[in-house]
Amino acid sequence: MNHIKNASDAASRVNMLGRVIGRLKPVILGTAGTVFLASCASNAPQDTWVPKGPNAQKIDTLQKPVFAVAGIIGLIVAAAVVYSVIKFRDKGQPIPKQSHGNPALEITLTIIPALILAVVGVFTFRTVFDLNKTSDTEMIINVTGQQWWWEYDYPANNDYGITQPIITSGQLVIPVGTKVLLRETSRDVIHSYWIPALNGKRDAVPGRITLNRIEADEPGIYAGQCTEFCGLSHANMRMEAVALSKEDFAKWVTNQLNPYVAPAESTLAKEGETVFLNQCTRCHQVNGLTREDGTPVIAAPDENVWSGAAPNLSHLMSRNTFAGAMFDLLTPECRTDVWKSESASFGAKYLAGVSESCLNQTDLRGWLRNAPEKKPMYANPALLASTGGKYRGMPNLGLSESDIEKLVAYLLTLK
Amino acid sequence: MFTPGSKYLIAITGLSAFSLALYMLLVHPSALGAVALIGLLAATSLLTGITLFTRDGHTAQDQTSAATVDTPTPSMWPLVGAAGFSLVLVGTITTPVVFIFGIVAILATLVEWTVQAWSERSSADVSYNASIRERILNPIEYPVLAAIGVAVIIFSFSRVMLAISKDAGAIIFIVAASAISLAGLLISVRPQLKKSIVQTIAVLAAVGIVGAGIASMGFGLREELVVAAEEDHYAHQECGEEKSDHFDKGVSETISATSGADATIELADGKLTAQVQGIEGLQDSITVRRSNPSNIIFRNKDAGEFRLSAHLGKTKIADGVMEDLVTCTQLISEGAEQWLTLTINKPAVSGEPYTLSVPGLEGQSIVVVVP
Repeated sequence: MNHIKNASDAASRVNMLGRVIGRLKPVILGTAGTVFLASCASNAPQDTWVPKGPNAQKIDTLQKPVFAVAGIIGLIVAAAVVYSVIKFRDKGQPIPKQSHGNPALEITLTIIPALILAVVGVFTFRTVFDLNKTSDTEMIINVTGQQWWWEYDYPANNDYGITQPIITSGQLVIPVGTKVLLRETSRDVIHSYWIPALNGKRDAVPGRITLNRIEADEPGIYAGQCTEFCGLSHANMRMEAVALSKEDFAKWVTNQLNPYVAPAESTLAKEGETVFLNQCTRCHQVNGLTREDGTPVIAAPDENVWSGAAPNLSHLMSRNTFAGAMFDLLTPECRTDVWKSESASFGAKYLAGVSESCLNQTDLRGWLRNAPEKKPMYANPALLASTGGKYRGMPNLGLSESDIEKLVAYLLTLK
Repeated sequence: MFTPGSKYLIAITGLSAFSLALYMLLVHPSALGAVALIGLLAATSLLTGITLFTRDGHTAQDQTSAATVDTPTPSMWPLVGAAGFSLVLVGTITTPVVFIFGIVAILATLVEWTVQAWSERSSADVSYNASIRERILNPIEYPVLAAIGVAVIIFSFSRVMLAISKDAGAIIFIVAASAISLAGLLISVRPQLKKSIVQTIAVLAAVGIVGAGIASMGFGLREELVVAAEEDHYAHQECGEEKSDHFDKGVSETISATSGADATIELADGKLTAQVQGIEGLQDSITVRRSNPSNIIFRNKDAGEFRLSAHLGKTKIADGVMEDLVTCTQLISEGAEQWLTLTINKPAVSGEPYTLSVPGLEGQSIVVVVP
């Protein structure tokens, strides 16, 4: 009698399970379909499966077979679990014979994963050591993270025509086929530098120097993202690595080393220079900029910004982004033209910089009008007690539309 | 009229009111602090009222155990506990030390009063109850009291040594040590010595040292220590060629950090060179980042003691008054290395580069470039 009752209960539970699965079917199918469709995305600049340099290729060469083996094992285990759940579901039958205490089976099931992990371990260690090699470095670049942008400075390096240090931000420019060693650190909190197409991620830790090798096979722009939560605008702390042919890189270096050219007198840009001197040089440096009396302007971000630094705006219009690479300096059409160009023509298009017709006036003017509205930052003067009155990010300067007009004209001259 | 529990709560309520008055009158009041203290006063007042109304939950005599009748003894712990609470309150608005003393007093009260109350209910025999309490608490009380006593003696003695001259200090140290040795010798050769005499000697010695310590605190530190504190001898860097009496004391000659250095500066065969990770060969300049601590390792491979000095331009110390900004390592001997951290906020003025050099070593320097 009990046996019949148990069987009836089990059948009832199976029916209930079937109904639950039936109701969840649209959700399961929808999720699976979304995941499948996501894998088909073509506009995925941070795709970790598309290496564009030897370092990222090493990671890719390691991760693909590991992923395949792990995937096959995962599928086998999942299939076995599903088969067991369905085949041996409770139908009131007696408990089958248990395999506990079977030494041969247990040893086999221990040795097989151990062997798989040992093989994976050997190749992983080899890759890790390869990626940490620095003896063959051809160029070093100092990379400094702060809330919420990246600064790059290039120490003097006669092999590449860098006769004096170059400093820039947002876009890291490197020559193709060159073993570049990034020396990373941070001015405030821990950040993490990751351009998936060129290498794995590496933390930038205050007070420490961490090394990260990158090398690009072909000219192009490779996108990245800070991957260590670093505060309010972590999601907006982006970066781009721009790889140029060696000839184009030499041109870029020459341009960066070009001396400052003041705007012509009686122009809107000249008026913008005055606005810049009065409003912006407290934090932003433009190398070569002088006051009326001829004294050089040295910005003092250490007195105004919590991290102690603000982007150096020398040759701003030779970059394609601003505000921690969150916004484009180029209009969408012009940017697409650069991003989608062939390797052979990419360098020339990138080196052309930002022209007036290609300038993304909307975002740049919006930024100058009220930066904290465009990008979340700690810039409310009334709430800066914890940082001694120093900003984390750019404050709203309260510029008039006329000043913005002049500033835009001036910034366009910084090529 | 008042039951024991209500007395305790009345004391806490009174102290709460006192703390509130003290806070509002003497300390800069804030809304948060006032609300907290008023809340405390309201809570203790309520508890006091309830306790008075219920007569402390007293039940009829015939419902109590015979063992508890007439056995409670006078206790100082309610007083200590109340003092502890008031110290905690005062400490929250003054200094952490007062707060910590209050916490210690409350914890001591919790332990002592709990054990005492428990022991007094163990039997109707007061002396037996007292012995029970001692068996439990004496193993804790004696070491704690001894530690406090030793700390007070050491602190008092140290005040004396800081107040008198070094020579007088040496003499007093010898005299004190000899006196202790003689007293120990006397007690060991005369074991029949009266206990009261030994106690008297010990008490007199302790009182003498504590009294001398209090007097010394009133007298203050000896002159040279006052001067050293005023001139900040041990933090003030002296970056010249000569050995500094203070800055070069206690030299650190090894570095435990194995990474995180921006550059290694080495003095070998009279030459100063720089090595930067990732750059092959020796360099005559290094690039460091603005507004960021940059760690430099200085390694001396030459015979003799040398230091690395960083010349970082000039700094304004008053209107129209500029001063050279220099930082340096201590003098380190051959084979030693030391860490120098530079934080440079601005690029150097054109024509006046930042440099690293070794005092006394002419013609050798490393340029520090700040983009």
